Amino acid sequence: MTNEEPQQTESPPARPLATLASTQSPNQQLRKTLEDTLAKVHPNTPFEIGETKTDVNLHCPPEHFAALVTTLKERKELAFDMLRNMSGVDYEEGLTCAYHFYSFAHNYSLQVTVKCPPDNTHIPSLTGLYAAALWHEREAAEMFGFVFDGHPNLKNLLLEEDLNIHPLLKAHPLAKPEILQGIEESKPGFDF
Amino acid sequence: MTVWPDTREGTLDVGGFETVDMTINVGPQHPSTHGVFRMVLTVDGERVVDAEPYIGYLHRGLEKLTENSDYRQSMGWWDRTDYLAGMCCEGAYCMAVEKLAGIEVPDRAEYIRVIMMELSRINSHFMFFGAFGADLGSFGTSFVYGWRERERIYDLFEEVAGDRMFPTYFRPGGLTMDLPDNFEHRCRWVLSSVRQGLEDFDGLLTGNEIFVERCRDLSPVTQEQAINWGLTGPMIRATGLKWDIRRAEPYSIYPHLKFEIPVGRQGDVFDRFMVRMAEAYQSSRIIEQCLDEMPRSGLVLNPDLPTTLRVPAGECYLRTEGTKGEYSVHAISDGSNKAYRMKLRSPAFCNLSALREMVIGTYVADAIIILGSLDIVLGEVDK
Repeated sequence: MTNEEPQQTESPPARPLATLASTQSPNQQLRKTLEDTLAKVHPNTPFEIGETKTDVNLHCPPEHFAALVTTLKERKELAFDMLRNMSGVDYEEGLTCAYHFYSFAHNYSLQVTVKCPPDNTHIPSLTGLYAAALWHEREAAEMFGFVFDGHPNLKNLLLEEDLNIHPLLKAHPLAKPEILQGIEESKPGFDF
Repeated sequence: MTVWPDTREGTLDVGGFETVDMTINVGPQHPSTHGVFRMVLTVDGERVVDAEPYIGYLHRGLEKLTENSDYRQSMGWWDRTDYLAGMCCEGAYCMAVEKLAGIEVPDRAEYIRVIMMELSRINSHFMFFGAFGADLGSFGTSFVYGWRERERIYDLFEEVAGDRMFPTYFRPGGLTMDLPDNFEHRCRWVLSSVRQGLEDFDGLLTGNEIFVERCRDLSPVTQEQAINWGLTGPMIRATGLKWDIRRAEPYSIYPHLKFEIPVGRQGDVFDRFMVRMAEAYQSSRIIEQCLDEMPRSGLVLNPDLPTTLRVPAGECYLRTEGTKGEYSVHAISDGSNKAYRMKLRSPAFCNLSALREMVIGTYVADAIIILGSLDIVLGEVDK
């Protein structure tokens, strides 16, 4: 015998409150607008539209990146006017840079990923479009070895100025003992 | 040598003398730089001609450490980013892991989390009021008023989690332990103390003519500039843009709570201060609602979690409203027990990147106030 009656109002909801409330999920309206607009404006550009757990994801090669972002910013129906975050990722297939844009007019959030070919880490700089990119690109450049073409001042930001390492690459070791001057035979300092 | 369109009255005519720009180093060990921040100012007399910020003195490799630690081990690192509001950082980190793994959090834990995050926000804002008053020359007095409430909130954290600044109280899936028995009573007492503290600051700073004269109309920021520079949090709300992630892209139980989003008018230093004052009051409202509405008993940790948390492969960019602005986590997992990539979008980092544009053309003493009004925490800037 099973009780078919719906639960009483006193009992707690089946799913927690927060799960019902969370709106940080891919926006289907944005996805449709994005597909329509890009197919119209950039008919010959190879791009893919996918989804992460929270955002619509637009994937494009580096050579078409600057043109696509200009469209994202200029078109009224998209109007992505803020670059909120940038992060490099060291995938096994190659270095990828993920950009997170936000549109205040439509409350849209979009992730754009740019995958570099293995031997070429050049990506066009966004500093001309978004001033926020200045420090984000410096950080990604020092941590992963990206080269942002057009950046006015691409020197180290968080690391020491003369340190030429890229610590967030998977090949880079987490820790290494320092060679002390006068005690060990080798050259003093860190040898990465 | 830069020639300024001189708006000062009674400009000194230097005649045949040659003037040269001077370079001044500020920091990294200077009380007005709020930690280990350094900037090199080029000045022409009292005017700032150029400013070059240098950060990274507190860089601990948070992201590399997170990639190399178990999901629960990394908790301790994330506390130490925004060390004035450790609970907000834990919240963002845990919610990112929960989003990737699809873990549900019990309702009681959600309410407690919001209480803790808002207490952290109040704590961080009080620290700002105190330090900001110190930047303006009221060293000691305003600092101590700020620390009074801060210590009461930290005492509460210590009772709840066992630690003041780095409580490590949250876990993916809930909390480490339930609240102590007398928590509600104690928390309401702290709230009344916080409101008293806000009134005290109101009398000490907002009503102070010297304070108002120095802050008003200093470095106004337009909405377009703020968006272009990537400013978030109180910095962007001071410009009049009503944008708070707790409302725009809500998370946790914020949609069920009533609170206002305070905004400024012209984005100057005074507005940034007032927005934070109003926000601290709204946070106390949120905590009261949570204390009234929260389930009186129940689990605080999802009981179905395995000992070793393996998160299925996926990617998310989880946004939260930290105390300084948008505190977000870009998390990528590959199915193992360690994150493949965990990127912190640090609000203070982005706000600080606009410092150069804000201080150019102001006086040296004002540059210090503008830096103070950004409310940076170097643990978060340097990661």
